[in-house]
Amino acid sequence: MVIKQAKEVLKIEAQGILSLVDRVGPEFEKAIEVIMKAKGRVILAGMGKSGLVARKIAATLNSTGTPSQFLHPAEAIHGDLGMVTSDDVVVAISNSGQTTEINNILPMLKKIGAKIIGFTGGMDSPMAEACDLLIDVGVEREACPMGMAPTASTTAALAMGDALAVVLINRRHFNQDDFKRFHPGGSLGERLAVKVREIMLTNDRIPMVPLGSKVQQVIEEIDAKKVGATLIIGKDRRLAGIVSDGDLRRALLRHKNIHGMKIEDIMSPSPKTIDESQTAAEALGLMELNAITHLVIVDKHNRVKGVVHLHDLLGRKDFRINGGFRPTTGADR
Amino acid sequence: MEALGPPRGLIVDLITPLNQDRSIDGRGLGHLLDRLSPLAHAVFLAGPDTGEGKNLSLAQRLELLEKALVVVRGRIPILFWITQDTEEKTTETLLGLKKTLKRRRYEGQVFWVDTPLYYHSNRGLPALYRNLSSMVNEPFILHNAPEFIRGLAKPMKRSNIRTAILKELVSLKAIVGLIFLGSLDRAHNYQKACRSRARFRIYDGDETHFMNHPSMSGVVSSGANLAPGAWQKITESSLRITADQDNYPEYLHQVWDLGQYLRDLKGIYQRAPVTIIKEVLADKGIIETPTCTFPTKDVEESKRRAKELMDRYGDCPTP
Repeated sequence: MVIKQAKEVLKIEAQGILSLVDRVGPEFEKAIEVIMKAKGRVILAGMGKSGLVARKIAATLNSTGTPSQFLHPAEAIHGDLGMVTSDDVVVAISNSGQTTEINNILPMLKKIGAKIIGFTGGMDSPMAEACDLLIDVGVEREACPMGMAPTASTTAALAMGDALAVVLINRRHFNQDDFKRFHPGGSLGERLAVKVREIMLTNDRIPMVPLGSKVQQVIEEIDAKKVGATLIIGKDRRLAGIVSDGDLRRALLRHKNIHGMKIEDIMSPSPKTIDESQTAAEALGLMELNAITHLVIVDKHNRVKGVVHLHDLLGRKDFRINGGFRPTTGADR
Repeated sequence: MEALGPPRGLIVDLITPLNQDRSIDGRGLGHLLDRLSPLAHAVFLAGPDTGEGKNLSLAQRLELLEKALVVVRGRIPILFWITQDTEEKTTETLLGLKKTLKRRRYEGQVFWVDTPLYYHSNRGLPALYRNLSSMVNEPFILHNAPEFIRGLAKPMKRSNIRTAILKELVSLKAIVGLIFLGSLDRAHNYQKACRSRARFRIYDGDETHFMNHPSMSGVVSSGANLAPGAWQKITESSLRITADQDNYPEYLHQVWDLGQYLRDLKGIYQRAPVTIIKEVLADKGIIETPTCTFPTKDVEESKRRAKELMDRYGDCPTP
């Protein structure tokens, strides 16, 4: 009996989604165009279970390159309407189209000048009349008795939201690199779990010059290895110091002409070090603690084995520290 | 012909009040319809089982429609069962009923309900309806009732409208809905077949189905003869016809209680729905007599339990 009932519910919900297939038409296309042309965000609004669906759709849109935000209709009339501008598109979700809180804010949203797209099964409802565009998400049957909780109808609205997001992905030519920019948590977390030895620069990729070198040599080494610093080594490749871009800048401010100076005069003599067996996360913690961007990896005799830069921890290709989202192709935005 | 929009919500499968001489009890019909009209979205007259349509003569059906038109006066849509045991008799009934509408100059919404497999095979149904719809302006609602057809005891006869045939029938503008009885799987198949038509209604003809997994078109309910207020609330809650309730969650508690009440009530009357419903309504003075078109069994105990239950829920109908 339990299995039978569960299967019935799943069938009803599946049919609810399937019933939408034939109803996706010109209104959906127009909704996509409106969102594509919008200079602002997509604001999702819904009450109760529809509110939860709205939150999920907002999250999906954000993850896939469409700036989006959830607006609680009850909070909207207490000030949150201030988040909506005429550049925004509002997607209002109500299966019946009779939700009082939604219908109360629609005239105000119109006054602001935002375009309103309705997700509803009540195509003759007050909400339907107030919307600029209507997406029919009505279902033929609910799985839950007596209107206790919307089931197939919320599933259908959720699926339609996914359809919207996925079509927008394609229209925006949103690709894997763009996705990674919005999801550093996954790739970054993975990256920070590795050992320092796996990501440090070694051998001839290590920027280093011997003690006694001229500043000119140091500048050339920094420029050649592109790590923003060079190590200063003594006998047997023992670590003697480090010169970073910042050290050079500060020396220039103090002495004006530094080209004839010896490197010992401007280097930092005790660079921070880390063991190669420690994790990238620990390296990142050390960098944060000391407000530096380089760590040197030495053996027990203080001989240089490698160097690691902040960018090596975060992934040079995939991560920009100060960058927001910049789409791979800008034509559609 | 442009078909009128079919109703959505609670459709009461009305009992047919009869005098002892089996003529239509006009006064009882008036009481019933006056009580139901503000609560229901439509009323189904002369239905095959609850309305005893299968036992009503053509003259009785004509009299029933005539009297109902006087009371309803366009307040709610009327669904009327036209089916007879042959195509010719069904056509004759349809034309007779149509004549009554015309004579009364009735302007309210009327839908003809037909159970085609009662007198016809699946083959040729689209042609049948093209013919029937050419004779009248009112739209048709199909009635798929496998148990009812099986009762004909014709072993080779199909008891359900074939899905492929339904798909063809749905393409006819004159057909605007279907009262469905049967399995949930068949309901899904029928839904698929009808998707090409926006706003084609598939009503649950089985109250239990509706209570468990409500069709968003509505329900055809015989229990609403007894408890129309409770059925109205359950239907409107299931279909979310009314605005979301301010007093949530108390409202849902009420709906839950009412749902239990209707299930319990059905548990009492389902043994002999027409007899028990008529007995209770006659006892309350809403209809004149509990007379039925068929021999009745003793339902005193069920009547007593139904009345007790209704009293307990404060559902005390008066004429």
